[in-house]
Amino acid sequence: MAIKTSSPRKGGIGRVNGPEGVDSIPLRYGDDPYVWACWLYYEDGMTQGEIAEAMGVSRATVNSYLADAREKGIVNISIEPARLASLTIAQELKRHFGLSDCLVVPNDDNTRPLIGRLGAAGAQALAKLVKSGDTLAVAWGRTVLSVGEHLETGPLQDVTVVQATGGTTANFTYTPELTTAAVARAISARCVNITAPAVVASAEMQRMLLAEPLIREQFDTLARANRIVFGISSLRPNSTIHTSGFFESVPLQHYLAKGAAGVLAGRFIDERGRPVDGPLDDRTIGMSLEMLRGIGTRVAVAGGFDKVPALLAALRGGYVNVLVTDAATGAGILRADGVTSLDGKLSQRQKSAPVANAYRTHVKKFLNNPNDVVEEMLDGLIAAHKPYLQPVPGSRRALVARNGPRPGKVGLVIGGGTGHEPCFVGYVGKGLADAVAVGNIFSSPPPDPIAKCAVAASGGAGVLFVYGNYAGDVMNFEMAAELVEEQGIPIRTILTTDDVMSSPVEDKEGRRGVAGNFFVFKVAGAACDRGLTLDECEAITRKANDRTFTVGVALESCSMPQTRRHNFEIGPDDMELGMGIHGEPGVSRERVRTADEIVDTIMDNIFKEMKAEAGDRVAVLVNSFGATPLMELYILFRRVEQRLAAKNITIEANWVGHYCTSLDMAGASISILHLDRQLTDLLHHPCQSAILTINAPEPDEAARN
Amino acid sequence: MSENAAQALARMFERMSQVIETEKDRLSELDGAIGDGDHGITMSIGFKAVNAALAKLDLDTATLSEVMSTAAAGFLDAVGASTGPLYSTGFRRAAQALATRSELDLAANRDMLVAISEGIRDRGKAQRGDKTMLDVWLPAAEAATTAVAEGRSKQEFWSAVTAAADNGAAATATMVAAKGRAARLRERSLGHLDPGAVSATALVRAMAETM
Repeated sequence: MAIKTSSPRKGGIGRVNGPEGVDSIPLRYGDDPYVWACWLYYEDGMTQGEIAEAMGVSRATVNSYLADAREKGIVNISIEPARLASLTIAQELKRHFGLSDCLVVPNDDNTRPLIGRLGAAGAQALAKLVKSGDTLAVAWGRTVLSVGEHLETGPLQDVTVVQATGGTTANFTYTPELTTAAVARAISARCVNITAPAVVASAEMQRMLLAEPLIREQFDTLARANRIVFGISSLRPNSTIHTSGFFESVPLQHYLAKGAAGVLAGRFIDERGRPVDGPLDDRTIGMSLEMLRGIGTRVAVAGGFDKVPALLAALRGGYVNVLVTDAATGAGILRADGVTSLDGKLSQRQKSAPVANAYRTHVKKFLNNPNDVVEEMLDGLIAAHKPYLQPVPGSRRALVARNGPRPGKVGLVIGGGTGHEPCFVGYVGKGLADAVAVGNIFSSPPPDPIAKCAVAASGGAGVLFVYGNYAGDVMNFEMAAELVEEQGIPIRTILTTDDVMSSPVEDKEGRRGVAGNFFVFKVAGAACDRGLTLDECEAITRKANDRTFTVGVALESCSMPQTRRHNFEIGPDDMELGMGIHGEPGVSRERVRTADEIVDTIMDNIFKEMKAEAGDRVAVLVNSFGATPLMELYILFRRVEQRLAAKNITIEANWVGHYCTSLDMAGASISILHLDRQLTDLLHHPCQSAILTINAPEPDEAARN
Repeated sequence: MSENAAQALARMFERMSQVIETEKDRLSELDGAIGDGDHGITMSIGFKAVNAALAKLDLDTATLSEVMSTAAAGFLDAVGASTGPLYSTGFRRAAQALATRSELDLAANRDMLVAISEGIRDRGKAQRGDKTMLDVWLPAAEAATTAVAEGRSKQEFWSAVTAAADNGAAATATMVAAKGRAARLRERSLGHLDPGAVSATALVRAMAETM
């Protein structure tokens, strides 16, 4: 019973949790705590901690119930989930593409390079498939070379290993010659190389070479191949195909233009697996696609998301009947080909009946005309915040601080789409941003209002653009910067990139900017207000961004005023970790846990990157995405404070509330600014805006310490 | 009075706006799966603004190039977002490409498609296979170039162009997004069509219908 099925969840946390503990075993478990524990663990997918709570026993007891259940034979089949998943994917690939077999390598947190894992798996497959007397064709490539390096077979006799294409320059290790030799050596087989180049100068040369008796003999061997092992190359810019020297770049562009999606044994296929003709066809010496498809056992070894279109093309074209890939790529191929049944099979969570949807399809909102929301909001906002800001003449999408810009001061322009209120308009005022450009909902403003803002903010000392790192904002702000620089106003740009979950640390510059904007704006505004130079303001702002870390969790998606529907559904028991502030899906879907556990996950991710030591000081922002109330934010803050205190990190200042929202999304983010002396000083610099006002420091610090 | 080339081009933009209106909800839905769910709305606002801007133009005297640059400015001022700079740069390039042309023959249409695709590529710094609107515009422009080089008829030209566009859009489902907000999803974007590519095919079809 270890294989998890999708029965509806029965014992929820807390519901069966009574003071009487195991005495209150629900009837259906027949008074057997072992069966109950196993059911909750294997069928309901609960953790041991959750089960302990549900059963009212200790975790250790649950652990021993589960262990004993194995011994007693209550549980008698067990497959490790990662292997189960890879097996499920393999079965599904086999079924969907009509393969004779499929081997899928489990994901292992990428502790080992993919090429090596695929090579080992390919070797395992070949060892089973190759028999005495076989002729095995081998195509070149990194993955296939890795197969050769891992290959170990039992004693085989009379096996011939033959190179599937001509040769290439030897400036890399996985040439056709070396790849073939590696496989032949591993099997102790006779090795037949094709002693001609893979690509020759002319069609005539190709004909002449193929007519040479020696090469004809080699091709006769190739024609006898009853098995082939080959890799699949993508045509993506990072593919080795571009650097291997196998093809010149000019003809490659030709094949790309004709829709080539992948390369097998030096031959191009389109996304449906049809051959793509081009100038290299009659200059290539090697196995044709037709020959390849005529071989009995065709083992393809390939993995990586970049290769999904190429793999899919090869599978659709019937070039593969044994596939060796990894679990993530395999699932990707199926998803890309529209197979959705997999998600249900892989998921250990139960899909709940869509009761909520039947109850209500539209979210209620205060609206007049949904198409006028931004304009009407601006009417209200400009009236409400009159003391702090006003429209730049000629554009309501460019708002300037009343007491902000002044001669000799670096101007600070912020901006972005609407729907994040109080971001960004709430941070315009003296000591903060000088002007804000306002876009449509979740859409960057066009260059025109941004340029107007820059002109309005300019005091002759240059202007800083500070905004979140999104493709649309980058393009519009860049176009605006070009316009304004033509007018002699120097522009410096700092993209905020505080969202830790949106990209790995190696791609820190690729991260998006979220609620941590708040700290970056505050510091930048203070630096500008202090009258620092453009260079200094830029450097300080960059430092503030580098030291700001945010992680967000969404419980429900947001709904646009125009559609009044959730952008997508987060399941009833789920949360989305790393959710963006535009309702775009996050990086992973997980089960909702307790507030403390969620904060722990968030803080663990932040601590991983923030190199804070005992005695350091930070500023904390616990931010609602829109629908989450203050009550819950304080519960989150409580745990943030505990985690920081445990590391002896002092909270210099904190804010809890709605600071950067995503319409009516339920969820919250936690941002930490890792302070140093300079940032601390600028954080306390006075400012006045609609949302954030800091007065000159007063001795009220005692309350915090 | 027969329609002049500028009027025909303006009618093309009108048709584009119509097809976007029809597809609006579907585009937003596609975007909801891998982006922020507003693509249909943004495109709708943009093309309405294009037509509003063109309405102010005297089409009896306007050149093809003026129609294109008016469309470019109208689109950009209305939407921003990422589609704003991309399409407005594409249309602005097309305005340059059509500067010496007064007729909308197949060569002019080819130039327009090539200019739009190059403008989008240069502004967005994306490449083929990144799961973007370029996966439609580039193949469409290439099909147009080939069709003109091979001396194809008008009907053959547009059927080759729309087929290339449709194929390109369909292929985005097999790609992992490398640009824009969907790029954060990595492999979770597999199996989903790119909304920008789908709207691009709608625009190409509108061109085919009116040209």
